[in-house]
Amino acid sequence: MSSTLTLRIAHLYPELLNLYGDSGNILVLRKRMEWRGISCEVQEVHLDDHPSFADVDIAFIGGGSDREQRIVCDRLLSVRNELAAFVEDGGVLGAVCGGYQLLGHSYLMGDEEVRGLSLVDLYTDRGSPRLIGNIAVQSRISAQPVVGYENHGGRTHLGSGVEPMGRVLHGHGNDGVSGEEGCLYKNVVGTYVHGPLLPKNPGVADYLIARAMERRYATSELEPLDDAMELAANKAMFDRLMADEGKEL
Amino acid sequence: MTIRGAVATQAGRLVHWGLRTALHRSASQLPGRVALAIDPQLIGHLRAKAVKGSVVVCGTNGKTTTTNVLAASLEAAGYDVLCNREGANMVAGVASALLPGEVADWAVMEVDELSTVHILPQLRPAYLLLLNLFRDQLDRSGEIDHVQDTIVEALAASPQTTLVVCGDDPLSVAVARRAQAAGTRVIAFGIGEDLGLPPDRVPEARFCQECGAELTYAYRTYAQLGDFRCPSCDFARPALDAVARSVEVSQTGVSFNVESAAAHTSWPVHAGFGGVYMVYNLLAASALAWLMGVSPEVFQKALDAYHPNNGRLQHFDVDGREVVLNLAKNPTGFNQNLGMLLADERKKALFVVVNDNPNDGRDISWIWDVDFERLAGVDAPLRVMAGGLRANDVQVRLKYAGIHATLAGSVEEAYAQVADLAKDVPLYVLTNYSALWPAKEELERMGESHE
Repeated sequence: MSSTLTLRIAHLYPELLNLYGDSGNILVLRKRMEWRGISCEVQEVHLDDHPSFADVDIAFIGGGSDREQRIVCDRLLSVRNELAAFVEDGGVLGAVCGGYQLLGHSYLMGDEEVRGLSLVDLYTDRGSPRLIGNIAVQSRISAQPVVGYENHGGRTHLGSGVEPMGRVLHGHGNDGVSGEEGCLYKNVVGTYVHGPLLPKNPGVADYLIARAMERRYATSELEPLDDAMELAANKAMFDRLMADEGKEL
Repeated sequence: MTIRGAVATQAGRLVHWGLRTALHRSASQLPGRVALAIDPQLIGHLRAKAVKGSVVVCGTNGKTTTTNVLAASLEAAGYDVLCNREGANMVAGVASALLPGEVADWAVMEVDELSTVHILPQLRPAYLLLLNLFRDQLDRSGEIDHVQDTIVEALAASPQTTLVVCGDDPLSVAVARRAQAAGTRVIAFGIGEDLGLPPDRVPEARFCQECGAELTYAYRTYAQLGDFRCPSCDFARPALDAVARSVEVSQTGVSFNVESAAAHTSWPVHAGFGGVYMVYNLLAASALAWLMGVSPEVFQKALDAYHPNNGRLQHFDVDGREVVLNLAKNPTGFNQNLGMLLADERKKALFVVVNDNPNDGRDISWIWDVDFERLAGVDAPLRVMAGGLRANDVQVRLKYAGIHATLAGSVEEAYAQVADLAKDVPLYVLTNYSALWPAKEELERMGESHE
């Protein structure tokens, strides 16, 4: 593969939305591109910036505290139309935890309903208790189960046309009852799975890179990498969670 | 004391005796738990035992060391001290530590931040020391705002308590300002000069918690600590009542002068261990000890004799190889440890152990906020190993930092993996909370602890 290939990542508000090691997701995307000879440019979008998504291949939104998420949402609403055009054009968007909630029509902060970006037909209300713990999800975008950690008070409800990222094998997922976790819409992946999401789930990382390659260079073939360590970490957690499932039955 | 309190005390002591004398087990939790079951107000009933009063030490990092140093200095000054030295810092641990004996001069208690709201209203300490606030155990503590709210609430319920706060930490100062507005007396300490240290990653507190503007700094000492101010409101480092100046931080330890403008006095402090974070711990302990009537000379004498053997920065000799054990349980703690490791100019090996037991926090996503990348340069360790219940995760984290790590199931296994390296190559063992004591026990079996 030629080294002239370049993908651009826009990391949205890393100084605010960084609650759960989210910088690890960007690091994993960058390394997995570079190991394949794809050069990677990461543009950090800060609060006072007016970001353009014209040259962006992958946008990423992490999770923050309520207070921080509110600040971000206000700023994001001002670039909402551009972000929506990016998504509708097949731009790749990864959104985790609070960032996932921002994708929808609304979410609750305290008892106040906060308007979201309406990029995906979903909304988030709240339930008790918080849904906290390790999680495993079966998803078509990853050959291995997606494993990680979830910690959210929000209950996210998908619109009828929106596909979940996958089905919960262990843990809670979107709302703790539907058995669904996350969302897939065009090239958007939204999920409550952090840990962070991508290091132990190289399949998800490569899905995002492949979608971006397809859109930019009309090829989704990725050179295989030696993922022995990543897959061992994935398996170690998955095996532990399945053993716990056995105990609960 | 009420009859119920007296019965509870006796029951707790009986359990203590049973554990320590009959079973040779640690008695840092259970006696208090049993006694509290009989009398939930026990801490309030026992508070009078400390006739001069009590001190509570809280903060994300440095509680155990600061508590132990302060208690040791009070004892060196001839006072009787009740103290939860082993770091059992929730309600049961504090109650257990208050049970022994009939009377003491001072109680010095390390208290978990979220437990302050249960302990302060009953213990009503003369001082609450707030060392720092960092992101730690998000699954248990929740967001840092919640920890701050809890401490403010605790202080409101104990109005006679003076808050001794790290004035360099915006997150602690935010607590102090709210408490002060509600009537709490506040004393601030901090470092009064630019140490010129390389900045480490700051995951927290980039923005003013009162108005949202990005904080600016005259200088930073580590993490979010330093001489900060908000450019758009009056949130800023407060005037410091106890200031560390002429600060030296080196491989051999720390030294500085404590200056108190109001008291027109200053005195030197030095210790053969620690990095810049230890300057804060010792500055706070020294200033508090002074307030409590311990002379600077006695404080220094206690510090010279301080060998806690609690796994914090403990050195071992294992068949002629130096093994350095330290606790590193969150990004800030880890980054400070990595700084210490890089300051050691020798070639070295590193064993990183991360567990995810409940007392560690089940969520270990924080390992991605540790600057392991700093280890990948020219001074990279000769060998790096990953261990603990989350060894695989650590190995992946290190891979993406550009460091190849092998897995090791124990300190002994890690030690064996460096057997071919020259004996003058030290092995650093950095572990999080629940991995610390097992590692320490292994090392005590394998070699000898030395100063």
